[in-house]
Amino acid sequence: MSGLRAAVDRAAVVRAAVVHGTGFRPTAAEAVAGLVLLLVLVAALWPGLLAPGDPLATSPADAFQAPSPAHLFGTDESGRDIYTRVVHGARDSLLIGVLATGIGIGLATVLGFVAGLGPRWLDFGTTRLVEVLFAFPGLLLALLFIVVTGPGVLSSTIAVGLATAPGYARIIRSQVRRTASAEFIEAARVLGRGRLWIVARHILPNVTAALFVLATLGLGQAIIWVSSLSYLGLGAVPPAAEWGAMLAAGRTYIANFWWMTFFPGLAIVASAAAATVIGRGIQKRNRSAA
Amino acid sequence: MPSRRFSRPRAAVVVTAAVALLLAACSPGGGTASEPSSEPVAGGTLTYASGDAEPSCLDPHVGGNYPQALIATQYLESLVSLDDDGEVIPWLATEWTESDDGMAWEFSLRDDVTFTDGTPFDAAAVAANIAHVQDPATASSTGYLALAKITDVVAVDDHTVRLELSAPDSALLESLSQVWVAMESPKALERSQEDNCAAPVGTGPFVVDEWERQDSVTLVRNDDYNSPPADAEGTGLPYLDSIVWRFIPDSASRYAALQSGEAQVIDNAQPDTIKSAESDDAIEELDAPRPGASNRIELNSGKAPFDDERVREAFIRSVNVDDGIQSLFFGTAERSYSPLSSVEPLGLSLPDLFTVDTDAAANLLDEAGWAERDADGYRVKDGKRLTLDFPVSTNQSIPAEQSLFEQIQADAKTAGFEVNLHPLDLSSWYGALAENDYDLVSAPYTKVGPDVLRILYHSDSITPAPSGYFANLAQVDDAALDDLLTRASATSNADDRESMYEQAQRIVLDGYYILPLYDQQNHFLYSSAVQGLRAMPTVSTPTFAGAWLVS
Repeated sequence: MSGLRAAVDRAAVVRAAVVHGTGFRPTAAEAVAGLVLLLVLVAALWPGLLAPGDPLATSPADAFQAPSPAHLFGTDESGRDIYTRVVHGARDSLLIGVLATGIGIGLATVLGFVAGLGPRWLDFGTTRLVEVLFAFPGLLLALLFIVVTGPGVLSSTIAVGLATAPGYARIIRSQVRRTASAEFIEAARVLGRGRLWIVARHILPNVTAALFVLATLGLGQAIIWVSSLSYLGLGAVPPAAEWGAMLAAGRTYIANFWWMTFFPGLAIVASAAAATVIGRGIQKRNRSAA
Repeated sequence: MPSRRFSRPRAAVVVTAAVALLLAACSPGGGTASEPSSEPVAGGTLTYASGDAEPSCLDPHVGGNYPQALIATQYLESLVSLDDDGEVIPWLATEWTESDDGMAWEFSLRDDVTFTDGTPFDAAAVAANIAHVQDPATASSTGYLALAKITDVVAVDDHTVRLELSAPDSALLESLSQVWVAMESPKALERSQEDNCAAPVGTGPFVVDEWERQDSVTLVRNDDYNSPPADAEGTGLPYLDSIVWRFIPDSASRYAALQSGEAQVIDNAQPDTIKSAESDDAIEELDAPRPGASNRIELNSGKAPFDDERVREAFIRSVNVDDGIQSLFFGTAERSYSPLSSVEPLGLSLPDLFTVDTDAAANLLDEAGWAERDADGYRVKDGKRLTLDFPVSTNQSIPAEQSLFEQIQADAKTAGFEVNLHPLDLSSWYGALAENDYDLVSAPYTKVGPDVLRILYHSDSITPAPSGYFANLAQVDDAALDDLLTRASATSNADDRESMYEQAQRIVLDGYYILPLYDQQNHFLYSSAVQGLRAMPTVSTPTFAGAWLVS
């Protein structure tokens, strides 16, 4: 009996390991994306390594300089070095992106599990709630939240987290339900495993794999949303080195000084695209493994 | 799925067109700008794109800010105007006399003018307008303060009116020339404020036809117009059929609208675009610095830490604004060292007070008890950080100015001040001021003549006007200054007036209540197809009464 139980448990773990995708060859796009994410990560954790300067140091005499060896990305209207600001901005964008995704997925996990495993009426209630929230475009939901709480980095982070939660919740619910009806779960139940044990040991690992993909894809989206909110003046406040805020500041001068908007924009596009490429890569492998 | 790609021939056409455009753009311009054609052309619609906040009320009696003045100049007119030399000239009033004791003024009015709703313009209309501005329910601030000394309006006969004052007012004519106290139809004023705000009725060259909120106001020609100010040129005014007054807050879009011909005139032009338009024959510039106050940062002396003059001086001595003004404004703005605009003849400039001296600033802060610094480098006193709140109205400050504030923030940080910039929309900004929730603030104030000093720095102005706005944002409360300003506004002796205003400005500057930056910038860019455009010599708003479009 216990032997059978162990075998079933092992099967579940193996499934989870496969979807994590150990040992594959990355495509060229994935390699580039990985490199970009690595750079962004280094910039976020140790910005001083890539750009030792102060992102807020002004120098009016050096304002509006085009990209040159001295200022790789040029300078902005106050003579601040845009390269330094883009590098230091990675921390804000990435941190807010990760936190927002974390909030979104955390909330979604709770909702998804409640709906996926709870009694039918609870499933019905939760699913309807998620559907109502889903009817709002995500950014609108985030804006609504900010209108209530007031602008700022913290509220824009929570706002993006909340706004992304319904989408995740829906995917997690179906994942939970699919796993819950799998044969090995049935087997575990027959073998007398407790409810919580099954959730923790069998369902969660299987859902986590999907969550990982979602989180990677979501990170890219969250970076864009956070930048959008800052661009609208609802997130980071000037003169903070935040990509969206820099984009907004450069907008005024776009006709004459393109580099003020181009480089922060490039950073947003590159990091969001990189996260998406990596996420899709993992997703594809998951599917073929399944 | 239908293909979204261009078919090959179509793509070829697009590429050819793009190349042609590029070549056209690169080829040298076709000669010099066309000389202004001498013959005005009637007809046509002009589009004006404003970057200022859309007024919530088109009647400038209510509240009374510059965006209202800009548009109201097209449909409202005042009793008097100014000529280019600053002399008062007749407009709806033909002549005027001051009584010997200065306590009353008598105005003769034009007898051939009617409002666009058919109501005749007469002495009763003047009385109704002054009553409207002074009525607390109107919630006027600019007009209310300008007319504060008028106690009674008496209709001597149909077209003669006497204004009785509580004290002689040397600024009365200047005050009356402003569009914030312009004449509106008394019949129209009897409507609800909401109705009157939506379509005020005046005697001006245009009439408010339609207001599509968040988008535009349409003004149409007043076919019966007969009352231009005494210095207006041309006959058969106005020439234009209509004006579409659009609100395009984003400066880059506004400039793009001008370049594409979607708009013919834009305001709040950005310094870098003014600079690049210099070489563009199709675009002209109108630079009309506003009268009244210079653009300055007020230091709130009404509460800590700026209730201590040493801290105020330390702040002013530690920030370098010259370099920022040079680089951000591309030579379109000149540094000011005066509380008054450079167009005010009585402005006093004291550059020496504003030399940057970081050592002196550090000593002053030490003396004032802000000797220690915390881990972030900010100065502290009794465990409290030297923090300054700086609400910035994003509607009233162009991006270049906001960048200048960021540079000030960076400089002040080196000295140990933590400046918190709060970008706010107009109503939140008014809210922060009403709550006394600011240490630094930059608020434009436009008024004709040096009497603006009384409005800005007399202690009476710490008390809010009916609109809730108070103009003495530096919260200067100085008995000697109050006395000077009161006497200056009452004297009819020009020399006394000049010397009193000089002393008053000296007190304001010496007390480090303000950091003057530059004139209130008022740059307009317009298509060279627009002729006959000029700024009113009163409050520098452009008037389209004599403007026409060259086809």
